[in-house]
Amino acid sequence: MADSTVVLRPPLIDGHKTFAQVTSDVCRGMEGKPTPLWWASFLTAFAVLMVGAAAVGYLVTTGIGTWGANRTVGWAFDITNFVFWIGIGHAGTLISAVLYLLRQRWRTSVNRAAEAMTLFAVMCAGLFPVIHLGRPWMAYWIFPYPNTRGPLWVNFRSPLVWDAFAISTYFTISLVFWYVGLIPDLATVRDRAKEGLKKKLSGLFSLGWNGSTRTWSRYEVVYLLLAGLATPLVLSVHTIVSWDFATSVIPGWHTTIFPPYFVAGAIFSGLAMVLTLMLVARKTMRLEEYITIRHVEVMCKLIIATSGMVGLAYATEFVTALYSGNPYEQFAFLNRAFGPWGWAYGIMVSCNVVIPQLLWSKRIRTNIAIVFVISIFVNIGMWFERFVIIVTSLHRDYLPSSWADYRPTPIEIAILAGTFGLFFTCFLLFCRFLPVIAMAEVKGVLNEGREPAHGHGHAQAAGKRAGLPARSSAMEGARG
Amino acid sequence: MDEKETKRYWKSLDERKPDHAFPQDEFREEFGVPAMQLDRRGFLKAAGFTAAVAAIAGCSRAPVQKAIPYLIQPEELVAGKSYYYATTCAACSAGCGVLVKTRDGRPVKLEGNPQHPVSRGGLCAVGQASLLGLYDSQRLTGPLSGGKPASWEEADGAILSRLTEIRAKGGAVRFLSGTVTSPALRAQLGQFLGQFKDARHVMYDALSSSAILDAQEQTHGVRALPHYDFSKAEVLASFDADFLGAWIAPVEFAAGYRAGRAAEATPPRFSSHAQIESRMSLTGTKADRRMLVAPGEMGLALSHLAARIARLSGAVFDGAGMAASPVPEKVLEELAARLWSARGRSLVVSGSQEVAAQVLVNFINQQLGNYGATVDLEKPSSQKMGSDRALGALLGELKAGKVAALFLHGVNPVYELPHGAALAEALKRVPLLVNLSERVDETSGLAHFICPDRHFLESWNDAEATAGVVSLSQPAIHPLGNTRAALESLAAWSGKPQAAYEILRASWRERIFPRQKKAAAFDAFWDQSVHDGFAEVGARAEKSKPFRKEAVRAVINADVPASGMFALNLYPKVSMREGRHAHNPWLQELPDPVSKVAWDNYACVAPGAAARLGLSEGDVVRLEANASAVELPVLVQPGQQEGTIAVALGYGRQGTERFVQVGPKWLFGKKTGGADGRVGKNAAPLLRFSGGQLQYAGQEVRLTRLEQKSPLACTQSHHTLTMPKSLPIVGNERREIVRETTLSALLNSRKAAGEKGVAAPAAVLDLWPKDHPTPNHQWGMAIDLTACTGCSACVVACQAENNIPVVGKDEVLRHREMHWMRIDRYYSGEGEDEVSVVHQPMLCQQCANAPCETVCPVLATVHSDEGLNQQVYNRCIGTRYCANNCPYKTRRFNWFDYVREDHLANLALNPDVTVRSRGIMEKCTFCVQRIQEGKSEAKRQGAALVDGDVQTACQQSCPSQAIVFGDLNDAQSRVSKAMKNSRNYRVLGEFNFRPSIGYLVVARNRAEGGEDKGNG
Repeated sequence: MADSTVVLRPPLIDGHKTFAQVTSDVCRGMEGKPTPLWWASFLTAFAVLMVGAAAVGYLVTTGIGTWGANRTVGWAFDITNFVFWIGIGHAGTLISAVLYLLRQRWRTSVNRAAEAMTLFAVMCAGLFPVIHLGRPWMAYWIFPYPNTRGPLWVNFRSPLVWDAFAISTYFTISLVFWYVGLIPDLATVRDRAKEGLKKKLSGLFSLGWNGSTRTWSRYEVVYLLLAGLATPLVLSVHTIVSWDFATSVIPGWHTTIFPPYFVAGAIFSGLAMVLTLMLVARKTMRLEEYITIRHVEVMCKLIIATSGMVGLAYATEFVTALYSGNPYEQFAFLNRAFGPWGWAYGIMVSCNVVIPQLLWSKRIRTNIAIVFVISIFVNIGMWFERFVIIVTSLHRDYLPSSWADYRPTPIEIAILAGTFGLFFTCFLLFCRFLPVIAMAEVKGVLNEGREPAHGHGHAQAAGKRAGLPARSSAMEGARG
Repeated sequence: MDEKETKRYWKSLDERKPDHAFPQDEFREEFGVPAMQLDRRGFLKAAGFTAAVAAIAGCSRAPVQKAIPYLIQPEELVAGKSYYYATTCAACSAGCGVLVKTRDGRPVKLEGNPQHPVSRGGLCAVGQASLLGLYDSQRLTGPLSGGKPASWEEADGAILSRLTEIRAKGGAVRFLSGTVTSPALRAQLGQFLGQFKDARHVMYDALSSSAILDAQEQTHGVRALPHYDFSKAEVLASFDADFLGAWIAPVEFAAGYRAGRAAEATPPRFSSHAQIESRMSLTGTKADRRMLVAPGEMGLALSHLAARIARLSGAVFDGAGMAASPVPEKVLEELAARLWSARGRSLVVSGSQEVAAQVLVNFINQQLGNYGATVDLEKPSSQKMGSDRALGALLGELKAGKVAALFLHGVNPVYELPHGAALAEALKRVPLLVNLSERVDETSGLAHFICPDRHFLESWNDAEATAGVVSLSQPAIHPLGNTRAALESLAAWSGKPQAAYEILRASWRERIFPRQKKAAAFDAFWDQSVHDGFAEVGARAEKSKPFRKEAVRAVINADVPASGMFALNLYPKVSMREGRHAHNPWLQELPDPVSKVAWDNYACVAPGAAARLGLSEGDVVRLEANASAVELPVLVQPGQQEGTIAVALGYGRQGTERFVQVGPKWLFGKKTGGADGRVGKNAAPLLRFSGGQLQYAGQEVRLTRLEQKSPLACTQSHHTLTMPKSLPIVGNERREIVRETTLSALLNSRKAAGEKGVAAPAAVLDLWPKDHPTPNHQWGMAIDLTACTGCSACVVACQAENNIPVVGKDEVLRHREMHWMRIDRYYSGEGEDEVSVVHQPMLCQQCANAPCETVCPVLATVHSDEGLNQQVYNRCIGTRYCANNCPYKTRRFNWFDYVREDHLANLALNPDVTVRSRGIMEKCTFCVQRIQEGKSEAKRQGAALVDGDVQTACQQSCPSQAIVFGDLNDAQSRVSKAMKNSRNYRVLGEFNFRPSIGYLVVARNRAEGGEDKGNG
């Protein structure tokens, strides 16, 4: 037994956790009363959400004129926020599906939160295509459904229709994927809960999970299939979102580099957001042993990689514009960097390309505080990237007579803030009512049973009760 | 039943044929739905549902609305059909002919009358907007006595009893009015004033040309405004006369100017136009050569020109002691030579109010033999008849308290004249003050009685704007209030109350009918004249005396302001003129064609002076002159003379407080209007009486900077086609949106092409099949940028035709003006003095490869089989994607539900055009309602649509006929021919959006590669 306990890699979870400890650590946040910190955060987020909701209410009753958009800049904060939130949503799928397929077992401690974040981000994003409409009550017209209005149909050539499909598909798949992953944990919750609503609900949603080998085997297959199904979406959703711009004729929008550029940017921003949330959750929910410094480092490395891709895209755009010989295109890019919104472009480049380079240093990468700050910078930078693409391309397009500036109104700012309120309200509710860490999966990457026995018999019993078999095949793959 | 056994009965021979089939599903094609087929169960279901719905619907209490049909349908009046009546525009004294389009008894649009000899089919922005003036809720609905509503009997009784007293005492009665072009009204006035011993009719024009009339009197012995014929002028020099903008009769002059600049005529006729001015006028923007001269130097410049012309003609001209010419000698020499070479075919005009300067103009025109050719004094114009001397005399009388009764008509002297406050005090002392104003304004507010005149669309009237052309006005609607025509009021006060119609008819029988020979019977003549809207009759020959040389005296010195001071130039804007129409929101929202600023007046400062004083746009400055001060925001105006400050008149009117709330009301919306709630500031206190004339230009003004900002609602934030200097794009600094050429280059290229034969345009290779076939019509438009003066008549015409809302200053500041048609204005040229301006009307280009169409997710914008890019309002959900993707940025979004609270103003809405609601996109439709009307009319008559049957509103209104619209499928149509013109190009053509609008290159009569280098 002694030889078999040689560990080739440092463990993914610190603190020599037993199965029972994992369960109790993760469930701690859901059981007992919420902490004052949770209440404070929740009330703040909820208040901000309410401000945003009031702003949306005012917008819907009064008109898009309550925004700063104008005849030249028809989209500004609305679509910026939309693309920003969709981008945030990407990391969830990447971590849960792509990394799952790639057998990156470190994902287990972050995937649940990342997937939840995806859902909430897509919810925030999905708000904008609806409320940015002049007549949002007609939003359903964007779907091709049989109707009694004669031969009225949607325009399948319009990227906005593609968007509607892409986003609804993405949301559905993400939701299903997240839910399926939750089932074993919900069963744990069910088993731990005393009689009451919580027991009933978790019982209902755990679909009668019994922890049998057969259940596990089917679960694994479904999860794998869903991961396979979700993976193309990581590429497709933002590709389609980028077509909103790429298929147009506006200089600065009309560019073939957009699909990969947007996907890289989306993953980049999503990772940054996951990192931000992870660092907060780890601190406030005392999950340092699950979300370890190694997790942070891996995420930082991914951020460096995607930051490089984004930087390459920025440079390529300029070279393409220069090489194109198209004066409008050339102007659009010069104007983007040196025009009236040059400062926004400066924020974008420094936050997205320059600042992430600090992460090459291991000392910085392992300094939680600095990483946190950098991740915030990346979030800001990526918001500005979308803003720069949308507003600076529109505000000075073909005819100089129509050039116009743009200034957001307090309503727009309140709506942007409100989406953050929505996001954090949902996230805090999620932390409170659902297991933030995929217990079942984490248990699979523990060294339980492979380490010298320290008298963990009781823990093993607890683990079994939670319905955890030795998911040996997957685990061995990860170790190989 | 077996069919073979059935005996067939037939009702017609067609039916008898064995293969006859009844038309089934007659409407399938039209509605795309199969005819309803019902089985028994389906019928019962539907019947049950209907009964249930009827029962539910019956439970609600709907408001009862009574629609009363015509009990007896008036003959020749079909509800929903447009009728046109000829009448005469009275928005200014120019007397343009208009056709009033009425629908169901209310005027909904004014169109130029193409037959009218004065205006020739055009109508300016002010004329177009005067329709809305009819439905102005601020207009008085009845007489006021002491500020309180009274009946006409009460008012007349009181006025007559006071007049009887005055007559008995022999008190002075004065009638102060603007130019009265109506012979009938003049006669009626004569009759009225004839009752008194000391009575006088005093005319003055708020935009006075009195100096021209006085100068004519000095040189030719006739006090009249000569009739200028710009179409015959081959060489044209204008000294500060904005004849294409707001000077005397801009529609008439623009039409003439356009006729004189036809590059395509054989042989080409293209006048050479020099503009010598101190500010950037609309006319200056079209000039081939433009010289900047301070207002005080205008007389000196004219003297130098007169001296040169005199030298060429051999006439005596005493130019001894003249200061150096403000215009470079070489330029002046060349101008004199050009004018001399085109003797009898040239024209010199001046907007100066210095009699001496106008005498010099007369001298020059006399020497050039232009009298009788381009300057007609035999058949003079009566568009301006005011006399500033007479006005000055009256003001003196008023001050001395010598006037017993003062009647005012069509003027607002307290507002329009300098020292308005003092005048108001003097007016308060007049024992009987009667005003015929249609509203309570600065002057009429003081009146004892306001006896409101009717709007010209409600009344019978006439006008003889130029001798020999007498226009008629006929009512197009029943008067909206209990108002009374001035003719009737005067008749009542003359003791012979009579209807305006009777007065007018009698006047025509007496005065106009005898002057013509064509018609023998008066009734036939009258009917024809009412139908046409005008009658051409013989002019009473004005006997002008031979030229009096003694009157000519050189202006030897320039009137230069002291150092640190500026010379003021008070000018009328194209939209606002003297301020008479300040209550009209269409005109307030119309961007000035040069500055592109709406909803304000401002102090135009030359860029050099602004840089020197550290002023930038929106800085508030105080202007002090004549012991009066006005605080205005600054506008830095390229092409303005360094020492000049130009300020528009006509702003700051009482009554414009109504516009404070004109825009949408929302949380962060700001109000339109200044601190006092009025739009702009009144600059009239800065006017000056000098030399017996009202002086608009030349007074010394002190400029002080105040530490305030007042943003200007400018619809264009970048003013050139050159890219900002901070973004160096080597080789592509200028965008080829507007192309310019010179006349000589054009003629050379045409000659070269003529030798080789015109090369067929290269076939455009297209990857895609033509997926939008246009089998019947393909509508297209050609806009001649050489002809376009930027006058913006089309913008207001479009607004009136298409129910475009007014959004207010705050929304314009937020770049959300709603005009479907705009005039883009670009400056070009290096250096201060070499500023060149081009105007480009921009509207939806109806692209064949429309970028807007592909991106709309709900197919709310689609292509018609007539080449139109259609916007389906009720399908639009408002993504604004189409507007973003429009390269021409011609789409307009309904950001709010725009205010339509003024129900009276809503009567001006065109019933053929949807009023758009919040959240949807709109844009130019090529006036699709007019296309449909034209097509159905042609169908009704069983004839094919002929080129010219359908005219868009913009095209119809254009005084210089710069816009041609028609069917591109018809090779013979004017638009097809214009598209083949060598000057034709498409804006952004290289992107293959395939716009349906072709622009014809701006041509100027300049030396090739000369002054216009850098302009493209």
